[in-house]
Amino acid sequence: MREPDSLEAFLRMVGEELDLTVGDGDADRDLADLPGWDSMNLLRLVTLLEADSGRRLPVRAVLEARSLAEIHSVLERQA
Amino acid sequence: MTPPLDRLRALRAGGGLAAAYHEVPGLLAELLDDADPARRTADLCRAGRLLAGADPEAVLRHHPDTPALTVAITGQSTVGELVDPLTAELARHGLLLRPLLGDFGGYLRDLTDPAGLFHPAGPVHPAGPVHPAGPDLALCLLDAETVFAEVPTPWQPEDVAAAADRVLGRLAGLVAEYRQLSAGTLVLNTVPLLRTHSHQLVDHRSRARLGAVWREFNAGLLRLAEDHPSLVVIDLDPLVADGGPAYDPRLAGYAKARLSTPLLAAYAREIGHLARALRGKTRKCLVLDLDHTLWDGVLAEDGPEGVAAAGTLRGEAFGGFQRHVRQLASQGVLLAVSSKNDEAQVLETLRDHPDLVLREPDFVRINANWSDKAGNLLDIADRLGLAPDALVFADDSPAEQAQVRHGAPGVAVLPLDDEPALHPVRLLADGWFDVPRLTDEDRDRTAQYRMEGQRSRLREGSGSLAEFLAQLGVTVEVGPPSPHEYPRLAQLTQRTNQFNLTGMRLQPAEPALLADDPERLLLAVRSADRFGPNGLVGVVLGRYTEDRLLLENVWLSCRVLTRGVEQACLAALLAHAAAEGLGAVDAYYRPTVRNHRVRDFYPALGFTELAREGDQVYYRHDLTERPDAPGHIRLDLRVDRPRPSHA
Repeated sequence: MREPDSLEAFLRMVGEELDLTVGDGDADRDLADLPGWDSMNLLRLVTLLEADSGRRLPVRAVLEARSLAEIHSVLERQA
Repeated sequence: MTPPLDRLRALRAGGGLAAAYHEVPGLLAELLDDADPARRTADLCRAGRLLAGADPEAVLRHHPDTPALTVAITGQSTVGELVDPLTAELARHGLLLRPLLGDFGGYLRDLTDPAGLFHPAGPVHPAGPVHPAGPDLALCLLDAETVFAEVPTPWQPEDVAAAADRVLGRLAGLVAEYRQLSAGTLVLNTVPLLRTHSHQLVDHRSRARLGAVWREFNAGLLRLAEDHPSLVVIDLDPLVADGGPAYDPRLAGYAKARLSTPLLAAYAREIGHLARALRGKTRKCLVLDLDHTLWDGVLAEDGPEGVAAAGTLRGEAFGGFQRHVRQLASQGVLLAVSSKNDEAQVLETLRDHPDLVLREPDFVRINANWSDKAGNLLDIADRLGLAPDALVFADDSPAEQAQVRHGAPGVAVLPLDDEPALHPVRLLADGWFDVPRLTDEDRDRTAQYRMEGQRSRLREGSGSLAEFLAQLGVTVEVGPPSPHEYPRLAQLTQRTNQFNLTGMRLQPAEPALLADDPERLLLAVRSADRFGPNGLVGVVLGRYTEDRLLLENVWLSCRVLTRGVEQACLAALLAHAAAEGLGAVDAYYRPTVRNHRVRDFYPALGFTELAREGDQVYYRHDLTERPDAPGHIRLDLRVDRPRPSHA
């Protein structure tokens, strides 16, 4: 898996990794309103991203994010 | 070719995953073989995620014979993360997961509330009114917090000891209570001691005391399984030793996910094999290559003097592998050889070579020839009366591995390579031969199959089947099982696929319950012949209703098929029913993937068709014209109690 740089690439990656249908309009949607979203998804995302990049992510910040755009900006700040 | 994960993604995206579910085991085998070891766990989780997205009911509509397991998952912490790897691990074995997720931290209530999530009132097991409602498997994941939640701050080892005692007592109660509610298997686990606990103690003496207290707690957990046949305790220590770390402090703290992803993945792998065993899919035979698998060197080129399994560093590694294989064989795993070599030279080497741990009598079948290995694997399966999916194949050559994977689908292929020190790791990486409990029959299995060879020779030397049977001198004893036979009896129902008239299987706890049920008739069939005893080879389960006996199922090991044992048993049972004054004996047949050969079992014995319900056929025997018992069999039927009085 490539490091997702743009928001679009990140959304595509999330859709693929979490088996969700995520469109561009979903970036700012509250996670709770994303179709198919459940609380395990953040955990999965963190684990997969870390396993692939070998980098340590700010887990608490990711877990507290309310939207995919927020998660993306957390990751961008980290990069 | 496209990587397997991408093919799964394409199937999922195109909505074709349920329809292609039968291809999934092959795809996952490929995924595990090809994946970079560091990515294997993550890729299997990804595959599990995709598979979990397919509706189990849709899979069953496309593939109605897929064995499905309802698995309840609960525990001390967040357990949802187990679903993906568990979905994938079950799918590897062609099984389908129906997960039931418990509430965070609510395992006591989940497992023991009769009206709770895991004990839905409603129809019982469709294969027969045997199982109380409840999941097939209930996983209760424990972690260090299970104990430390009850330890004050600051603390001493004595505080941990007191908390551990309380928790262990509670868990023992839980196990007993669960057994009253469900005949399904309950799974607990030992709990790794974390450094962040042990090293809160600064003095070595206290730290050692904590270590001892902790191990006593885990030992207590493991011992619970001795008293409860339907309890399995997975020991996490060997899994952590292999794959650590046991937890990620950030995920534990922020998400209450207290068991690490790699540890959950390893746990899921163990559960996959447990589920496999409970569904009668334990592998039975390990087929081994010889050159660079069992010994160093190539026999046809180097000659017997040129191959080694001792004496050199590399040779010793092969000797070590042979000892691992022999250890498995001592527990009922059949061994066979498939090797591209001259048979005479192989037999001579197995007999005379000083280095070998495994000898000719350790193998039930030696196929040494120059034909392709897939064909040889299928031949070995056929000769042993096994399906290809009962075989595991170990070979160091990638070409042979690929040839068998494609030419003999169903066979599990161990990807050995040119590093013999890793052979044992690869052999044991999957629990292909795991069983809930070992029985005397297991320990004796190789001898049984070799005895089978003697029988075949008698058969070949006899003119007709009748003559062979007359010479064989079969005796059959049918009667209530003794308690020490319960594990073997449950195991037989789990392993028997061909002669299994309804596909029903008994869970480890069920024989005891059924034997105590006055409405039921549970009989064990034991047989012997001039070559020796066959042991417990069959089971009859019936239920008395009004003035009739309903045969809920009959199981018979394929080892004794075609000898008239099944006809003799039923003839005796029908005679017994008539003597007890019953009006009729009812029975039914439900087709499964493997039992088509017994489709006409009941009609051939004079049962008449009563009704059809879907593909299930109901039969009745009115007991007037009963079948004759085959003349070559001496049978003794003993039923130790009369039928219930209402009948």
